[in-house]
Formats: sequence, C-alpha cells, structure tokens
Amino acid sequence: MSIFTILISTIFVNNFVLARFLGICPFLGVSNKTETATGMGIAVTFVVTLSSIITYVIQKSILHRLELEYLQTIVFILVIAALVQFVEMVIKKMSPTLYSALGVYLPLITTNCVVLGVAILNIQEGFNLIQTIFNAVGASLGFTLALILISGIREKLELADVPESLKGFPIALITAGLMSIAFLGFNGLV
Amino acid sequence: MNETLKLGLILLLITVISAGVLAVSNNITAERIAEADKIANEQAQKEIVAEADEFRTLDENKLKEIQNANSNILEISEAYSNGTLVGYTIKSVSSGYGGDVVMITGFSLAGKITGMKVLNHSETPGLGANSTKSYFSDSFKNKSVTNELYASKNPSGESEVQALTSATITTNAVLAGVNAAREVFVSKLVN
Amino acid sequence: MKLSKVFYNGLIKDNPIFVQLIGMCSVLAVTTSAVNSVAMGLSVIVVLVGSNLVISLLRNVIPDKIRIPAFVVVIATFVTIIEMFMKAYAPSIYQSLGLFIPLIVVNCIILARAEAFASKNGVVASVVDGLGMGLGYTMALLILGSLREIIGAGSIFGKSLFGPGFQPALIFIMPPGAFILLGILIGIFNNIRRKKASSEI
Repeated sequence: MSIFTILISTIFVNNFVLARFLGICPFLGVSNKTETATGMGIAVTFVVTLSSIITYVIQKSILHRLELEYLQTIVFILVIAALVQFVEMVIKKMSPTLYSALGVYLPLITTNCVVLGVAILNIQEGFNLIQTIFNAVGASLGFTLALILISGIREKLELADVPESLKGFPIALITAGLMSIAFLGFNGLV
Repeated sequence: MNETLKLGLILLLITVISAGVLAVSNNITAERIAEADKIANEQAQKEIVAEADEFRTLDENKLKEIQNANSNILEISEAYSNGTLVGYTIKSVSSGYGGDVVMITGFSLAGKITGMKVLNHSETPGLGANSTKSYFSDSFKNKSVTNELYASKNPSGESEVQALTSATITTNAVLAGVNAAREVFVSKLVN
Repeated sequence: MKLSKVFYNGLIKDNPIFVQLIGMCSVLAVTTSAVNSVAMGLSVIVVLVGSNLVISLLRNVIPDKIRIPAFVVVIATFVTIIEMFMKAYAPSIYQSLGLFIPLIVVNCIILARAEAFASKNGVVASVVDGLGMGLGYTMALLILGSLREIIGAGSIFGKSLFGPGFQPALIFIMPPGAFILLGILIGIFNNIRRKKASSEI
C-alpha cells in the first residue's frame, strides 16, 4: 500500500474513531472543550507513533524470531503502559496546565483502544517499518480530527436546548453517528 | 533505588509466571489450531472441485516461482479423480474493506471455474460478509477462464459474476483474488 | 456486602454500559449481529471473572505502586488464553470478532473492576462482581446487537425474520447506526432512571 493511500485511508475513509470504533472512551470523555481535545490528540499521536515503532521492532526481532507470537498482547500492553508513564512525566514538566486539564484521561491513554489497536493492526496488515509509522501517524491524525470536530460541535451543544435524558453521552453519541454518516461519503476514495 | 528494584522484580515475577501459563496454553491449543485450518481447507477443496477424490499440493519450487511473480497466490493444489489430473485449486488473497479476504478457486482442465469459496474475511455483516453466501459463490461456477471476470447486478455472460449489493470493495477484492488465480491457471499451469 | 446486592449492582444498578458508560469501543464494533454480541459477552465474562479471581487472591501480595501494570499483565494473560482457545475451537467466531478479542485487554470495565472491587474484596465477592458486571455488559450488547441485526439485516441470530422482500435499513449495520442506536438506548435508560428516582421521592 502506498503511503498516500495509507494516510487517506486512516484519516478519512477508515477513520479510526468514526469507522473503526477505536478510541471511543476518550472521544466521548475529553471532547467537551476544543483546547483539551487538541492537547489529547497531540499526546495520543506521540504515544501511538512511538509505541507502534517500538512494538513493531519487538515483534520482528524477538517475538517472531523466537516463535513467541502468543506473548504479543502482554508484551505490547506493557510497552504501551511504560510509554504512557513516560509521556505523563514529560507533559507534567513541560505544561502543567495541559497536565491538569487532561486529568485522569492522560493515564487512560494506556487503555485507549487506538494505541493497542494500531500496534496490532500494523502487524496484521503486514506493514514494513515505514508503512507502520505512517499508519500510526494517520490513525492518530484521524483520531485528533474526529476529536476536534466533535468538541467544536459539543461546545455549541452546551448552549442548545437538549432534552434532559439525552444530555451528555446520548447526544454526543448521536452527534458522532451523524459525523460518521458524513465520513461515509469518503468511501469511494481509496 | 532498592525500592524500585524490588518493585521491578515483583512485576517481572508476575510477568514470567503469566508467560509460563501462556506457554502451557499455547501447547494445548497450537495443534488444534493448525488442524482446524487444515480441515477447513480440505473441506473447501472438496466443495469446489466436486469430481476430485484426491488433492496433492503443487511442487514447492513451481509454487515459489509462481508466488514470486504474483504475491496474491497462497497455495496451489492439483486435483485428481481416479489418479487422473482433472483440475487445480488455487488459494489467493487480496485486500478487502475490513482486512484481507482469502478465497479458494477451483479450475477444471476444460477451462472452466468449478467453484469459488471465500475462506477468511473481516467484511461487514450484511454487506461484504455476504461474499460467503451461495448466491454469490455459485455465480462463479462454470464461468470461462478465457477472459478476466467482472461483476454486474444481473450476470449473464461467460465472464460475469454476481455483484454484492452495497459492497463494491468486497466484490472487487474477491474479483482481484479470483482473477489473479485465473491468470496463474491460464499462463502457468495449463501448458 | 450481600452477594445478591453485588450481583444486582453489576447487572442493573451500575450497569457498565448504560450507567457507568465505560467499555464503549467493543460495544459499537461488535454488535453487528446478535451472535457476535453473545460471543463477545461470554469472552468478557470469562476474562472478567478470571482476572477478578486472581487479582482478589493476590490483593495482599501485589505492592500498591505497581498494581496497575500487575493487573494489566493478569488481564492480558486471560485474554490471550481466551484468544487461543477461541482460535482452536470456534475459528469462525474468532474471525468475525477480529481485532476486538485482544482489545478486551484495554476494555475499561475489566481494569475498573480490578481496581475498584477485586483489589479490595474477598474472592467469592469478586467472582460474583465479575459475573454481575459481565452479564450486565452482555445484556447491553445483546440488546444493541439484536436491534441492529433486526433493523439492519432483517434477521436475528442469522435467521431471516421478514422474508426476502424486506429492505433492511443498512445504515444500522454500519458505524453510524451503532452510534445513533446506542445514544438512543442510553437516553431511554436515563429516562427510566429519572422517572424511577422522582417516583421514589
């Protein structure tokens, strides 16, 4: 697959949130303010790309060579957990405001399906290292795009007259559904 | 430093025990997994070349040569009936909507497709997943190998097969895989 | 805490999908058919009960500082075991659930129960909690999956319901349908809870 195809596919056609259903928890949890959404998007991009590279190398050089593929899930998730700890420390030092804004959602990047999902998909789709990197970047950009889009809409929804039972998650989900329909329009592209 | 080391060692211990449990589990299931694959394969082969009673995998060197030229080809088998070669089964793969689509196509020496079966896919239920339904795979039967196959809503011609409703990508993926197999059959196997 | 209360909690009162609103990724992806929903639900129950059991057994042994990575390793082990056995004994279901089997590891429900319950309670209670939450999850999945299959494909558990002339609303099998239906279901659940709360006042 060409790199261009990978990028278009992961950001638009098979958007990781709106079409592949990865990253829903932070998608619904962090998306009330566009600023926090952008910060989360950047943090996720960093974690996904780095973890994709590291897990890819481990898979090819250790797990595959020693025929220990069944340890993939354990090894991958441990790498991701360690990486997120690291990113947490870095963000705490560099931008305390962003750190407090992200709150509990920062360590939750560990359980963000996008990170583990992309790591596993890189192997499943048989990508080489360059394709893996672009798949990771594309997936996180797609995630960030969806996040920023829905946070913009939700900020406006705060001022709208939503029925009591639909406030919060339900209306966010319905909004996401409408966004997903819009993204379906990209289907013929790749 | 001592505290960190101690914590690290405990975590390592837990991980090592888990790895051990998984190794045991792997031992128990690995054989069965390989078996399941093999059984599904043989079943599919019998389905698509009904007249055959024996299948032999193609000579390894020849297979490698073909795979070098066409990376979609996974496996090739010769189909025999009472010791006489009657056709081939070719397993191929191509990219679908949700992942790889793996299919196996049967060819007769008379130059017809005897059957097609989608073995593995991750296509959408209700849409691309209908590629495993008989109304789709049956439309491949008795089609000619002379030209590339294509899909249409009401297939009638010798090279026309059924198109899947609202699943163009899946249909094209299956066509790509089957046409790759057809190409190999026509150019490399029937000499 | 009474065991029946623990169980009821997981099933209804603190239902992970409709009330706690966690573990969403798998809900949307896997509910394309009733069969897939049940398969996923059962897998999660096994992992949840298993990990709750082990973590509860080890709760006085695991140091507090590394508890999250330790929990994750235990959970990942159970997920890998389920994966292997599914691949060996139910390969077609393994195919349709695909990526979301290993993703059970990051299903927030399991880690949340380990942290909130299993690490602080006895083995029997933890197992019951796992069962309750797991069944609550499965129930939610089954409702959503059945709805999507009925409206989107005109069948239930693979059996066609309305005959060949029925034109299903395909959008419900596709991603948008999942989002919208889940949003509506949670809205309905919220409504029921509010009415119940106001009638109890």
